[in-house]
Amino acid sequence: MAARCVLQSAGTALRSVQSDLSSKGLLQRTLGLSQLTFLGSAPCRGLRQVVEKKDGKTTVIEGVIEPTSERPQPPDPTASCPIYRWSLQNKYNYTDVLLLSQFIRSDGGMLPRRITGLCAQEHTKIAICVQMAHRAGLLPDHKPPLPEGHVPKPKSNPPLNRYLTRYSVNSVKPIYKTGLKWCKKRMTVGHPALKNNVRYSPKPLYIKH
Amino acid sequence: MSSFSRSAQQWATFARSWLLIDARMQPPGKIASVCSVRLQGKHKPIYHPLSDIGDHVVVMNTRHIAFSGNKWEQKVYSSHTGYPGSFKQLTAAQMHQKDPTAIIKLAVYGMLPKNLTRRTMMQRLQLFPDDLLPDDILRNLTEELPQPREIPRKLSEYTQEERDAFPMLWTPPEDYRMK
Repeated sequence: MAARCVLQSAGTALRSVQSDLSSKGLLQRTLGLSQLTFLGSAPCRGLRQVVEKKDGKTTVIEGVIEPTSERPQPPDPTASCPIYRWSLQNKYNYTDVLLLSQFIRSDGGMLPRRITGLCAQEHTKIAICVQMAHRAGLLPDHKPPLPEGHVPKPKSNPPLNRYLTRYSVNSVKPIYKTGLKWCKKRMTVGHPALKNNVRYSPKPLYIKH
Repeated sequence: MSSFSRSAQQWATFARSWLLIDARMQPPGKIASVCSVRLQGKHKPIYHPLSDIGDHVVVMNTRHIAFSGNKWEQKVYSSHTGYPGSFKQLTAAQMHQKDPTAIIKLAVYGMLPKNLTRRTMMQRLQLFPDDLLPDDILRNLTEELPQPREIPRKLSEYTQEERDAFPMLWTPPEDYRMK
């Protein structure tokens, strides 16, 4: 989609979206994806080159889409959900950060389903895995931005290492009375949504420890 | 080894070796089970419960153990000295803050056989909260045991080539901006 902007004279300021560089004359700015290097391969959609053309009193600024580079084809291109397209259902876990990072924002939140195209079940599974990965500390660069001038309090205790945490850290209460063997209050590990994951060992997945 | 002399073979069979294990990012229960097996001597074919053939085990980085699930908040360690009013219950997080070696120590103590040899085996277990070990123990160490859990890699530890090699699963629509 070409963004056309017709100006009357060269004196008026050029309006641009998400531009950090500005210089007079012919401007070459890239729209679209920000410079986030953690994204997978080369740009997933064509970056738009902003080309400014001047004839006399009219200046035309156009965004020209470059052709996308060659990408590997998914094994099953007919499915609607990207996970099914690449046959990854029941095969991913909270440790597959390269996969999970494709569905999160830069501050760690999930992208909406209508944008990513995931089906409902896979979206919830990915959200659960992302939550577990955040709690395990596997996504250190996806923290929400702190407000300006905010100095974090010096933490006295070093953070405790954890993994496969189902519940939020501050919401869990200690189990003071675990009960007898037949009615024991177990501590849950992992999430039952991932119980259908492929397992290569004969032992079943234990959620209640 | 068949090429050893008789005295060397005897020495190699019955010597008590010093083993090292790193507990960084490991679940304490798995570390404790590995330690208890080695402390009892059950990893040796000459095992007998009465013959004192367990090895010394040194555990380092006990401060950096990792519990699965919400056990840091849910697991409670209780103790009672017998006097009234002395029932203490501490969560794993509080216990760890008080003493970084206590969790693994209690786990190993519970996994050893409940007889009089348990105390001697616990004396042969050395726990260190960080990787700073005293010189005399460092000189005694012979073998390092493999870690029971595979530590997952953080996103920042992946190289740019690995991230580029991973294919993009979905294409965002052309007018979607925020990411």
